[in-house]
Amino acid sequence: MQFYFFHLMSWPYLPDDFDEKYDSAWIWVPNALYDPVKGHQLYQEYIDTLAYADELGFDGVCVNEHHQNAYGLMPSPNIIAGALTQRTKRCKIAVVGNALPMYNPPLRVAEEFAMLDVMSGGRLVAGMVIGGGPEYFAYGVNPTFARERYREALDLIVKAWTTPGPFVWNGRHYFLRYVNPWPRPLQQPHPPIWIPGVGSLETIEFVAQRRYGYMGIPYFHIDVFKRTFEMFREACAKAGYTPAPEQLGWGVPIYVAETDKQAREEFEPALWYFVKNLLKGIGTTPPGYTSPKSAVAIMKNQDKFLAVQKSWDDIEKGMFAIVGSPQTVRQKLDDCLKKLGAGVVLTGCQTGATATHLARKSMELLAREVLPHFRNKVV
Amino acid sequence: MFETLKKLKYGARVLLARGGGQPETIDVAGRSTVIIHGGDGPPFVYLHSTLGEAFMWFPFYQTWAKQFKVYAPTHPGFGASAGFDRIDTVEDMAFHYVELFDALGLEQVNLGGVSLGGWIAAEFAVRWPERVRKLWIAGAPGLWVEEEPLPDMFRYMREPAKLRELCFHEPNSAMARTIFPDDADDERRMKGYQALTVLARLVWDRPYNPKLAERLRRVQCPVLLVWGDKDRLVPPSYGEAYRKHLPQAEMKRIPNCGHLLMFEREKEFVEIVANFCK
Repeated sequence: MQFYFFHLMSWPYLPDDFDEKYDSAWIWVPNALYDPVKGHQLYQEYIDTLAYADELGFDGVCVNEHHQNAYGLMPSPNIIAGALTQRTKRCKIAVVGNALPMYNPPLRVAEEFAMLDVMSGGRLVAGMVIGGGPEYFAYGVNPTFARERYREALDLIVKAWTTPGPFVWNGRHYFLRYVNPWPRPLQQPHPPIWIPGVGSLETIEFVAQRRYGYMGIPYFHIDVFKRTFEMFREACAKAGYTPAPEQLGWGVPIYVAETDKQAREEFEPALWYFVKNLLKGIGTTPPGYTSPKSAVAIMKNQDKFLAVQKSWDDIEKGMFAIVGSPQTVRQKLDDCLKKLGAGVVLTGCQTGATATHLARKSMELLAREVLPHFRNKVV
Repeated sequence: MFETLKKLKYGARVLLARGGGQPETIDVAGRSTVIIHGGDGPPFVYLHSTLGEAFMWFPFYQTWAKQFKVYAPTHPGFGASAGFDRIDTVEDMAFHYVELFDALGLEQVNLGGVSLGGWIAAEFAVRWPERVRKLWIAGAPGLWVEEEPLPDMFRYMREPAKLRELCFHEPNSAMARTIFPDDADDERRMKGYQALTVLARLVWDRPYNPKLAERLRRVQCPVLLVWGDKDRLVPPSYGEAYRKHLPQAEMKRIPNCGHLLMFEREKEFVEIVANFCK
């Protein structure tokens, strides 16, 4: 069982009346609300916290890409990952991921990921995502080509890493006379590829066929993950193999404190800040981003999403977050992992507006009193 | 009560008009294309808006059909019309239509459309001016007016109230609520999403064609521009922009009318267009 520390780098300083005054924390949320002086301090703290995860013995750290929003302040996760290659010694650095259709040419991703892999001594996990709906508004990239461009870009990147250059790429969306990236990745044939997903059958089958890792994106009810992972195992069986545990990742916020009561007191305000403010607008999906059928299905699945949960009871029952004393968290993780059969946990340890000193305390307790229980354990 | 009666009245007219045309599927250079047609007289081709209002024989077709042979094809990607995989831009739509006219043996037509349909008609007329006898454009994008940027309707696509406000002068009318109901069923939502997908393909990168303005000089035939004077989605200034590049054009504004002229001020709109195409 592997534990990765997932950081979103959220903006924790939205005004108290944000929920009443603004309809979204994405795309058109006025950037006057961002304060670069506080921002400087925040990047320091967040990078320190990620480096601390390495010291504490987490298997890896995760960063990801979002544009023009208060939810995640890494328009370029590769910059943070670059800093982490120098601040961490042994853990994996998972960029989950680069939103491929946002890069033109996507060769840029092949280059930057290869840089990170070489700089980190072969510790990169290469995440490739389509990118959330809001990114298409934020970047003006045509959503009706999202899936086509994503597939073509992914094929281009993998070929750039595995076929000696230079070669010509002649695709529907990209034409490159010379594909010949310097540097090439250190890990051979290429860094492990993770694909985050929210349960669409199309993506599940694709990832299963390619034998990549499928990372279930957090903030859904445990039943959604259960169904998704079952679908993934079926898709692997159809492709003629049993997936390795590391091929299944489960994203979930975790918070540990001395007692159950204290954990809830310390974590609950930070979580509601996240739910009420930062998730607002995350579902702004442009037309063509999915098929009409999936679009209607997604609208109907909204009650399984964290953003519409109203009470702490909802959070606990749906396992939207694992919160409590070390003993409670151990127990809950054990139950969930048995249910899900995932081999990787992507733990959001500084969700929403969690203060840095509390996040660090929670990480310490998690690393010292929970993770050893799961070491060398395969569910 | 009155609003309900108005709804019923329109419904009855829809029913009566039904005999006029039934959707048929024709082959356009390998793409199966849905088209409805009816009436007798000179050919008159109507290009629909993003609403996809060519899926049935609406009363306004019936009125035109008294004077013209009316054709209302469904664009590639809408409804059951195929060929969306070959469409990247509005120009590709125009190429589809030259092949559709060839397939139907239409040498020259009265051509026009509302909103997206009007833009496609303009793109067609700059490329094949000899195939257009008269051109009419209603509430159409295609150009850009710096002082009045078009609103982002994709931002509001899941908010029927906002769509009614953008597309109707009277957003609370029975008609506005019929076109954008608050409680659309799955089938209708899926249709709407499919239609907006086609629109997004065409306009997401840039909601106009920067080359269209200077190409408009190639249009040789008489041109009519029709705009709802309260069009909030594509304001009348866009009609004026077309007129600037089409010196032969006349511009008619319909008072107290929003974007969807054929539904909000059907009678005036249908008459203006019919008189022009005579």
